[in-house]
Amino acid sequence: MKSRRDFLKQSTLGAGAMALPSGLFANPVGTPPRRFIFMHRGNGLFPKTLVPPSLGEADIAREEKKEPFEVDLDGHDLPDWMSPLNAHKDNLTILQGLSGKMCTTGHHSWCSALGAFKANERPSSIKWATVDFELAKLFPSPMEHIELACFPIGGGNARGSLDGIAKGFSARGAQQPNYAFGSPKGAMEELFKSVSNNPDDQISYQLKRKALAFAAENQGRLAAEQTGIERRKLTNYEDSINAIRERNRKVDAMGDTLRQHVPQLDAKYLVDDLNTFDRQRAHSEVLLSALISGLTNVAAFTVDELAHPYTGIPGIENEKVNMHDVGHNKTIAGVEAPEVRNRCRHHHMTLVDTIVSRLKSVPEGEGTMFDNTMLFYFPDSGETHHSHGWEFPFIVMAGSNAKLNLGRRYIRLPYHGEEGHKTLGNWWTTILNAYGNPIEHYGDFDLSLKFDQTGPIAQFRG
Amino acid sequence: MKFLGIIALLGLTVDAAFAEPLAKPFAIPDSVWTMLDRHCLECHDEDSEKGDVRLDHLADIPLDARLDLLNKAHEQLYIEEMPPRKKKTQPNESDRQQLFDWVSSELKKHGPSKLEDKLRYPDFGNYVSHQKLFSGNITDAPYSPARRWLVSPQIFEERVKDVFLLEGRDRQSNLYGLTNPLMLPERSGIRDYDNTTLNGGHLLVMLPNAEWISTKQIRAARVAHGELKADEFPNPKDKWAPRETPPALQTVILKESAPSDEELVAAIQTQFGLVTGRPATSGEIERYLEFTHSSIDVAGNTEGLRQMLVSVLLESEFLYRLEFGAGEIDANGRKMLSPHEGARAISYALGDQGPDTDLLQAAAEGRLTTREDYRREVQRLLADETYYAGPVDPGISGKNMKSHETSHPKLVRFFREFFGYPGAAKIFKDIERSDGYYQNPGRDTLGSPGFLIKEADRVVDWYLQHDEDVFENLLTTEDFFVYHNKDNETGRDVIEEWRQVWETLKDTDWKDNPAIVFAEHEDFLNRKSLWIFRNRYGSDRTKPGQRLELFSNYMHYFRESFGKGQTPFTTVPFSHGYQYHHATFYSLPPTPRRERYQELSKKNAKEQEEMEFWDYPVEQPFRIENRKGILTHPAWLIAHSSNFHTDPIKRGRWIREKLLAGRVPDVPITVDAVIPEDPHKTLRERVEGVTQEAECWKCHQHMNPLGYAFETYDDFGRHQLEEPLEYEEHILAKATKKNGAHTYKTKPINSRGRLDGTGDPALDGEVTDALDMIDRLARSERVRQSIIRHAFRFFMGRNEMLSDSQTLIEADRVYLESGGSFKAVVVSLLTSDSFIYRKLVQEQL
Repeated sequence: MKSRRDFLKQSTLGAGAMALPSGLFANPVGTPPRRFIFMHRGNGLFPKTLVPPSLGEADIAREEKKEPFEVDLDGHDLPDWMSPLNAHKDNLTILQGLSGKMCTTGHHSWCSALGAFKANERPSSIKWATVDFELAKLFPSPMEHIELACFPIGGGNARGSLDGIAKGFSARGAQQPNYAFGSPKGAMEELFKSVSNNPDDQISYQLKRKALAFAAENQGRLAAEQTGIERRKLTNYEDSINAIRERNRKVDAMGDTLRQHVPQLDAKYLVDDLNTFDRQRAHSEVLLSALISGLTNVAAFTVDELAHPYTGIPGIENEKVNMHDVGHNKTIAGVEAPEVRNRCRHHHMTLVDTIVSRLKSVPEGEGTMFDNTMLFYFPDSGETHHSHGWEFPFIVMAGSNAKLNLGRRYIRLPYHGEEGHKTLGNWWTTILNAYGNPIEHYGDFDLSLKFDQTGPIAQFRG
Repeated sequence: MKFLGIIALLGLTVDAAFAEPLAKPFAIPDSVWTMLDRHCLECHDEDSEKGDVRLDHLADIPLDARLDLLNKAHEQLYIEEMPPRKKKTQPNESDRQQLFDWVSSELKKHGPSKLEDKLRYPDFGNYVSHQKLFSGNITDAPYSPARRWLVSPQIFEERVKDVFLLEGRDRQSNLYGLTNPLMLPERSGIRDYDNTTLNGGHLLVMLPNAEWISTKQIRAARVAHGELKADEFPNPKDKWAPRETPPALQTVILKESAPSDEELVAAIQTQFGLVTGRPATSGEIERYLEFTHSSIDVAGNTEGLRQMLVSVLLESEFLYRLEFGAGEIDANGRKMLSPHEGARAISYALGDQGPDTDLLQAAAEGRLTTREDYRREVQRLLADETYYAGPVDPGISGKNMKSHETSHPKLVRFFREFFGYPGAAKIFKDIERSDGYYQNPGRDTLGSPGFLIKEADRVVDWYLQHDEDVFENLLTTEDFFVYHNKDNETGRDVIEEWRQVWETLKDTDWKDNPAIVFAEHEDFLNRKSLWIFRNRYGSDRTKPGQRLELFSNYMHYFRESFGKGQTPFTTVPFSHGYQYHHATFYSLPPTPRRERYQELSKKNAKEQEEMEFWDYPVEQPFRIENRKGILTHPAWLIAHSSNFHTDPIKRGRWIREKLLAGRVPDVPITVDAVIPEDPHKTLRERVEGVTQEAECWKCHQHMNPLGYAFETYDDFGRHQLEEPLEYEEHILAKATKKNGAHTYKTKPINSRGRLDGTGDPALDGEVTDALDMIDRLARSERVRQSIIRHAFRFFMGRNEMLSDSQTLIEADRVYLESGGSFKAVVVSLLTSDSFIYRKLVQEQL
């Protein structure tokens, strides 16, 4: 990650390079890929909880009026719940002031936050690939993308169970929901099944590959009898089957590497009735294994969703906490709602710490794997339980090779409607542009803003 | 050196710059040169080079450049746009055809031309000359190309239900674990064409689908075999499964040893029958037998069998409709659909389900081999009120509204695709601009557009059921359905009982002492007021303690309706889940909001401000002022608007392309199509300002004059004679309620427009507004024929070709002779050669 000083130095040196379409050089052979982790959570993320308590009076006044300002985090304390990030302050940016009124907000938002459009449970509402999938296209990997989730099983967004493979919160393309793993054990078995020692898994693995080979052969035979567009109708399908086979082949070829990185989960993480905190820890381990082994370069992690029944919260471990009740400030087993939220957020930060620390421990090139990684922690629907999309606070952890001008800062951008205000669309555009997708603007526009909303956030260009 | 330097700067090598070889000598026949010289070179030679096109050096340029140029010329010649119509000297028909044929033959040497490819896509349907199609001069034998046609999302769901052998009420089952891999494009116009190919996206969805379907197929047998307990479900939310596993599959699972070839062949044939509707061929049997054996060797009977089921489900035939024809090739190179293909083609044309028993029987018994056989079956199925009955579009149903149901949803779907009004659900509005009445689509509801789309569906279905002058009625009807959630008879009953309550109690002290009045008249209320205290199923709707509050609410509601000589809406605003707020988009008064009565029954509640509410017409459809047909229905008007304002360009383009069979080129990629802001001008004035330049007007002349006439309807569909200038500086009064609209200064609407392109001088010309234009459109032969063309595309799944001329002329004739029956058009199309015959097209040979 670049500091502002670094950025000023490099920007003069790199002026010529900036004129080139960066996508051409997104992942040249021999250089490590870039990695992205999108950790999002439900029930809103209150902007006030991210404010460093040591801010001076003037900054506090600006913060309360939601006026733009920024401070170096060096010399400032983080809020208590963010204390697990103290060791990574140099990589930390707290970003406030982005709005997301082009998203579905309120209780549930589906893939709105990742796609910057109004989504609902209908696949037809998915307008385009979510930002994580756009990044996955820039940094290809055998699995392309993985998604892990602590699923909701109630409310208006219920999945069948906590442990299944179900529609996730990312989208592969227009009208194409992605599928996420609810169970860390299931994810581990599926992602690493090629190197599984379990005979049943090996049989299932072999059968699926046989079935795909058989299907490709059948379609190829049919296609051979056709010409023109009728042939394409079959070869397109055959090619799609073969593309999955090719992906499988690549995974097979990674056998030795995968064996080294199979998540080493304690028995307690493999039980069926995993509590939420443990599920989140185990998902983090799977996510790390997938990234470190090279199975994928992009991971989406639904840390929770409003209708996920929370368990394992310290002090009330045995309570199945209804987060909707917490959203309405109900006290749970004697613990007040803000404190319930606090304990959950703190836990999320321990997960971030685990991920960042682990990636920092893996050498890559002349540095570590984390140097080439960005992690985003943010709410799926905005600033509160019944959100309107006025604010989408972000915690960004970025390695030293990040192509954005961020770093060790608390940044509050102009508030919604004010001059210079920026939206989620601008934010995702900034990241996509920085990593090689030259899109003019990613995401829908906010109908209530009357000024030009197009493009990246200039101050973050690295 | 300078030149080389430039190349180096561009990052190219000298070799690369000169890599493309010059084309071999290219011979242009003298006759073609003569025509080019006479009609083209004046504008497209070295000196003029209009539109950056030069034809004089055609023989000297590299192959790629020449093909590009020839492709452009090919298209311009086909649509007769070149030479420009204003040129006095035009080539005669023979010259034009000769030039076109020469360009075609040159392009064909290098594969299909771009034009041939384009003509397969919906946007280019109108490239085929309307005049030629209906001239009667083309006598080619019609056919459709032999093809695979991707099934629609609805057909896919029905096919899955067929795999499970579901019948009757079981077909209503919610297939929880199934994700529909198929989506139709979201745009106005016919959407389901035969040129879509299966791709990776479909496959990624089909892989888990095939796993889910196959697992459900064998669940009952696994329970019988003791592999699963009857109450054991991997996913507790997903307990549905078919009651039985087909016997041939069950046999394999129950067998304790390896199954025999005979048993596996029976299982394979069963799965092929369920998935493809046909038996497996001998080749398929051979391959699947080997595959299933080897799978069973690896994983045992159950899992090995399931892999076979998955593999058949992954056959592309599950997602494609196959129409290749069978039997003898006739004198025109065509084959008739096989009886199996014909039965499916008929059934999928009329609905989403596969053929019914009678149709399958007709196919099996050789009674689907003549045009008359097709006619008999099509007419029988059109008369059948139940087989295809269902919702028009389950996708618009939500927690507060269900899609309209009818006997033949697919016929309604033709008109909703043609008109494109379901596009309203894709428009998002600022609620405040609607004075708080518009509800954007959200979770489990399509909001206001959902209701409006359903009400437009009802208008369409009403005229389809009457089946007289269908096109004209849909274009000009002044009768609409609004909030009509009870049939006329039920509505009359409700109002009659409510009126009795009001007349009996209106002079009591109900307002100040409702408890006393309620107690005194409780027997009367319980006895009489079916619709007050009971729900539509006849059971008690409220607990005793809630009745008093409800009684009070009703009396307030009655006072504001019966008490003012009006009729109330037959669903009360304080009922659970009440969402009816869209009357204002028909320019009708609103109905009261839920909040209006929630507080009234409480002590010390303030009296609400008096308001004018809608005098609800129980009998529907009913006449609404200032409306004529679907083009003035709020659903259509919203669908053809932007998020912020009307869109005369979009509305005009729709009329040009859908009703007048015309063409409008897409916006050139170099054009940044933005309507400039100007606080002192109406939207029309701003559009005029930015489109009047000659370069822009070249295309906009085909749209704007048609769309301007609709400026009397705003982007919510409300009738307007004055346009509010929605800028801060023009606010006359701020909104006085939550989500309310400000009052702005206004400017008068200019709705003058111009109709051209009907081909009828009596109809073309200046129009005063949309109603004037619609009257003329409804009398136009061209408009009628254009609708027939779109119906052709809907039922054939492709654009019409010139060889379909006889099919179209016959459908048009039948429409006129039947007094405007759409069903007669459907019968005509589904018994035409275009529907019945298949032919291998050039690229397939």
